[in-house]
Amino acid sequence: MNLQQRNNVQVSGTGSATLIFSHGFGCDQSMWSYLLPHFRQHFRVVAYDLVGSGRSELSAYDRIKYAALDGYARDLNELIDAFAVGPVIVVGHSVSAMIGALADRLQPGRIAAHVMVGPSPCYIDSDGYVGGFTQADIHSLLETLDSNYLGWSSTMAPVIMGAPGQPALSDELANSFCRTDPEIARQFARVTFLSDNRQDIAGLETPVLILQSTEDMIAPVAVGHYLHGVLPNSQLCMIDNIGHCPHMSAPTACSEAMDGFLAQWAHAHG
Amino acid sequence: MDSHLPSADALFERAPCGLVVTTEDGTILRSNDTFNNWLGTERATLLGRRFQELLTMGGRIFHQTHWAPLMKMQGSVAEVKLDLIHRDGQIITMLLNGVRRDDEHGVYYELALFGTQERDRYERELLNARRRAEELLSQKTLAEGALQQAQQELAAAYQSAERRAVFAEQMVAIASHDLKNPLTAIRMATQLLERSEHRERDRRLLESIASSSQRAQRMIADLLDFASARIGQGISIRRERVDLQATVEQGLGELRVAFAHASIRHLARGQGQVNLDPDRLQQMVGNLVANGVSYGDLSYPITLTTDLRADAALITVHNHGLSIPQDLLPSLFEPMTRASDRADTVRSVGLGLFIVRELSEAHGGEVSVRSCAVYGTTFSIRLPL
Repeated sequence: MNLQQRNNVQVSGTGSATLIFSHGFGCDQSMWSYLLPHFRQHFRVVAYDLVGSGRSELSAYDRIKYAALDGYARDLNELIDAFAVGPVIVVGHSVSAMIGALADRLQPGRIAAHVMVGPSPCYIDSDGYVGGFTQADIHSLLETLDSNYLGWSSTMAPVIMGAPGQPALSDELANSFCRTDPEIARQFARVTFLSDNRQDIAGLETPVLILQSTEDMIAPVAVGHYLHGVLPNSQLCMIDNIGHCPHMSAPTACSEAMDGFLAQWAHAHG
Repeated sequence: MDSHLPSADALFERAPCGLVVTTEDGTILRSNDTFNNWLGTERATLLGRRFQELLTMGGRIFHQTHWAPLMKMQGSVAEVKLDLIHRDGQIITMLLNGVRRDDEHGVYYELALFGTQERDRYERELLNARRRAEELLSQKTLAEGALQQAQQELAAAYQSAERRAVFAEQMVAIASHDLKNPLTAIRMATQLLERSEHRERDRRLLESIASSSQRAQRMIADLLDFASARIGQGISIRRERVDLQATVEQGLGELRVAFAHASIRHLARGQGQVNLDPDRLQQMVGNLVANGVSYGDLSYPITLTTDLRADAALITVHNHGLSIPQDLLPSLFEPMTRASDRADTVRSVGLGLFIVRELSEAHGGEVSVRSCAVYGTTFSIRLPL
């Protein structure tokens, strides 16, 4: 299958290193649109949709392959092989931060660094670990998803109301953003929120920049500290932000933190 | 007209839907009385709280992963279903429409909420019904898959059996055909030798060669018949009008030569033409006589009777000697069944009686046997006319 179509891969920018942007649960690559323009000047920028999300090839969704994050990690490695040039830095939001770490484990050495935006290796609390949620919370989420997807029909495309003063988005973008097949969303939610990647991530030696919102109910500050503790080459950068999407609500703070971390690759080959 | 309407504030407070204004991060700036009443809270307790704190945990995650990004990217959401928590802990399901306002004072969100308890219940029923339907569908799909596999296995087994049958048929046909030619050569050479003078010892050797090759020829005929009865199209017969007694007598002549050491009597009753296959009739008689010679007490004669009646021809072959064990009788006419275990040079490959039965049935008739120590063994063929 054509990888470009499978993952709706969009390549832009120029540079001797590649940034691959991988979105989180819920939406698609367009959530990076506040951040991408900044990096196109110094990097080759690859953005894509996870299979089953956005405008990816829905027919490529294989319930067995994507029953664990490994399936997405293998996809990411294929995309790196096909589209990346030079050193590769994976910028992953939320669950994609873990997909990046798993891809790194599968092909050690291929990924030069990670930028993890609001990462969490495990959402559910357990002995001595604070993930932020109980099992019951996650089941409450799955129910919420079910009832919303039912309301929003089979291809979830919420009615767009007029929004005066809002810069117009192209229809195409508006219609694909957050659109998901309900069956896929249900499985992806389970895979995302029920997986425990603490074993996979602990001791990963690749340089990691953690962008941690000061107030994020999905990836609480305690989780950011936990990751900083188990990742030997990590930097923890607190972003003054409320919510799980600092790259959308605080894009400047994010890009400034990333600039420092990425400097060595941005200028490596001029 | 406007003067008759309540003030805009009063309209806002008493609107028939919940109205909430928040900052971009969800902090509640204002909420109307309708919304406050639905949640059982005072206005003062809501102010400054975050809207998402009023949601169930699932709703909060959904807010973070879906509708907050939507509000940011698209400036609005519509018909988002959310579970809010009443002050007494009860869950109230509401539909949310929201618009993002971006003006000189900053960004704020206007939210309108509608109660949707009944519709929600209906949708949950729909959801459950769909799940049941999907479950049934997956069960059906599984069952169909299993059925298809079983059919494929059956078809494969059938094909393999068919291949084996064709192979066996070809083997028997080829072997029989290839054996026939050398046997014919042996018999012709023997007949030529018999014409000249010989010493006694040579004459007996020639007789032995002749009878052995005849027996081998009968076995080949049996094998061919067996092959066509079992794995081919069945034994075919060619009826013609013949004299019953003359046909039997002719066959008997050959049998007397072949079984010179046995005495064979023929009792004929009734004369006339019958419509049957003369070669097959001789073959049946030959097989029964050969059987009698093999297993009977040859100090007594073998008795062949042919009885031509109005509706049928009855042929019996009787021999004295040991009776056939009772437990063997039911399967006596099956191939490879023998009435005794003795390793005798005269016995055939065990197809003779099977072929007699097949030939009787091909004529629309039947074969039966009675056997006891006192009266000996009698095979009876009844062929309807």
